[in-house]
Amino acid sequence: MNNYWLKRLLSSLLVIAVVLSLNFFLFRLMPGDPTSSLLDPRFSPEAKHELLKSYGLDKPLSQQFFIYVKQMLTFKFGISFMSQRPVWQELAERLPNTLLLLFPALLLSAVLGILLGVAAAKGRGGLVEKTVLLSGAISFSFPSFFVQLVLLLLLAHAFPIFPLRGSLSVPPPVGFWNLVTDKIWHMTLPVASLVLLGFGSWALYVRNLMVKALGEDFILLARAKGIRESRILWRHAFRTALPPIVTIFFLSLPGVISGAVITETVFSLHGIGKFLLDAVLGHDYPAAGAAFYLMSLVTVACNLLADVVYTFVDPRISFRRLR
Amino acid sequence: MSFWRLDTLFLTFLVLLTFIVSPMLGPANETVAPPFCKPLWLDPASGRPLSLNAKDNILSFTWESKPPKAFSVKGTVSFEEVPKDAALLLVSPKKTYKLMDLAGLKNLDVDIDSRDVPLKLHLGLNPFVEVSSVIFSEKGTYSLYVRSDVKAHVNLNINIYTGKWGIFGTDQRGRDVFRLFVQGIKISLLVGIFATLIASTIGMGLGLIAGYLGGLTDSSIMRTVDVLLAIPTLPILVVISGVWGRGLWQIVLVLSIFSWMGTARVVRSLTLSLREAPYVEGLRALGAPAGYILVRHFIPEALPLLLAQTVLGVPGAILAEAGLSFLGLSDPLMPSWGRMLHEAQVFGAFTGGAWWLIFPPGLGIASLCLAFISIGRRFEEMADPRLKEMTGR
Repeated sequence: MNNYWLKRLLSSLLVIAVVLSLNFFLFRLMPGDPTSSLLDPRFSPEAKHELLKSYGLDKPLSQQFFIYVKQMLTFKFGISFMSQRPVWQELAERLPNTLLLLFPALLLSAVLGILLGVAAAKGRGGLVEKTVLLSGAISFSFPSFFVQLVLLLLLAHAFPIFPLRGSLSVPPPVGFWNLVTDKIWHMTLPVASLVLLGFGSWALYVRNLMVKALGEDFILLARAKGIRESRILWRHAFRTALPPIVTIFFLSLPGVISGAVITETVFSLHGIGKFLLDAVLGHDYPAAGAAFYLMSLVTVACNLLADVVYTFVDPRISFRRLR
Repeated sequence: MSFWRLDTLFLTFLVLLTFIVSPMLGPANETVAPPFCKPLWLDPASGRPLSLNAKDNILSFTWESKPPKAFSVKGTVSFEEVPKDAALLLVSPKKTYKLMDLAGLKNLDVDIDSRDVPLKLHLGLNPFVEVSSVIFSEKGTYSLYVRSDVKAHVNLNINIYTGKWGIFGTDQRGRDVFRLFVQGIKISLLVGIFATLIASTIGMGLGLIAGYLGGLTDSSIMRTVDVLLAIPTLPILVVISGVWGRGLWQIVLVLSIFSWMGTARVVRSLTLSLREAPYVEGLRALGAPAGYILVRHFIPEALPLLLAQTVLGVPGAILAEAGLSFLGLSDPLMPSWGRMLHEAQVFGAFTGGAWWLIFPPGLGIASLCLAFISIGRRFEEMADPRLKEMTGR
């Protein structure tokens, strides 16, 4: 382990510590009792004390903090105020839906964006480049929920091809394949909307990198050597643009996770983002805290992963590190 | 480079709309018509909404289009003596409907709505039938008429709702969408500009301090930047505004706390490079005080870039505010564009296909962001003319 990785790990731990203390103090130092939504004012003081004790809220704040940190680090998220079920169970139930939404969306928009960006860099001033510049501008200025609402209005109301809401039909269809097709039918529109919103910025970014790479001297040399144009494009120019692309892929993950809150709300999907929102709106503090903590953990992990993968893609860095 | 281009003109137009048109329109939260009315310029087959005031005993008007959605009669009728026989009549080309029996009282408040079930029963209609579609089924001259055996003073308003209202229609509470839209401009501009101004000020101050002082101050500020950048933005905004409150200024503050990091980084690197620049060293050798270097050299050098940074930060703040409002985390009494979209989604604009509730706020947000991006790009080009060549303009 060298100094660099130690530093990165320490700063990741710092982020987690900050998130944990934010979580703890935000929900406890707010006006009112954290359990006021749970407790009936008609409760007798003894019953109230009993209930506070069951949540561990009768202890002093500092002791509560240590218990809290310990629980969070061991993924014991406690019991949801609203559903009275373990928060962990609720999160586990929703996680597949969120992954099913985000993973295909991110992958598809990255692939589409890279292909379009490379094509735009190749044919400068052409139709593809104009489309890429336009779609990039749109993805920076149009609110995602507006685009999704319009898609819903068009493809679920005016032309009812896709369902208006939900991540599964009620009641769920019988049989494995029916279930799979139903799932795909429900997820197509959300995923498509995220791809539509996401590929523009990808394409713009890749295009800028590629334009820069194609202007370098070694491309001129490769052309002079008579190497095929497609090989120059992918093996020479794209290879140099790859490290920043990989970094951006991982660094874009947090934003994508943030986007899940809105997308799941628009399409009424049964996922983590909607869970966080419902928990916040319903003053369900254990649930909200756990969902936020989980999202932050994923973000931190992605940032670390970006660094690790970067060393693999950029030979200069890993070489120096190995020596 | 001329200042008056499409983007600045558009912004000026919006500001004028807020400051001049908005006060003339009346309160945005007022119910003016039935819910989910279409915009006036849609559906020419149904007539314009009608609002008439009757001061005389008899009020005549013509109805030439298809039956309206609803009507209401409101006001007062007072007689000089207590009438033995009096009634409020609505006379259609074919038939006379007795809307209300006025006998036996000297002063009366009239409040009739065609959607009231007692009225339907009084007229001998099925409670599920809309009265206006029965009464206004004919085209021709209608009259509202108070028949009595003594002299009557009438002050009645008849409103006929055709399911169309205003420039942008009405929402689920019967509020005028155009008023809400104009109100929304103000909120978006306020939040966008103030949040970025505060964020830029924090970012500039901390970036300057970090770059100039260096050492422990620098590393602690930069660590804070790293940590804040690593926290997922929207979830933390959702959590904080859910816990802390939903007022306008709370949103502004929360947004600015989580968006100063970019400016701080830029300012810090600028400060570092300028601190080491040979001409600054020369100035210092000549005995120029730090304040002089800062005001006469650093600020002019950094200002265009900082302006560009600030202006380009506005769309982010506008979008974040709209996102929070869309998630229902804003003040319900404060109509903003995000809130309009939230209500459109929650109160079923889709089941009614009410697209006029979705397009005005959505396109408003998008065009406002595009205007700010365009202005920001121009500042950026001013700061670094090389950019012009890169984009090929």
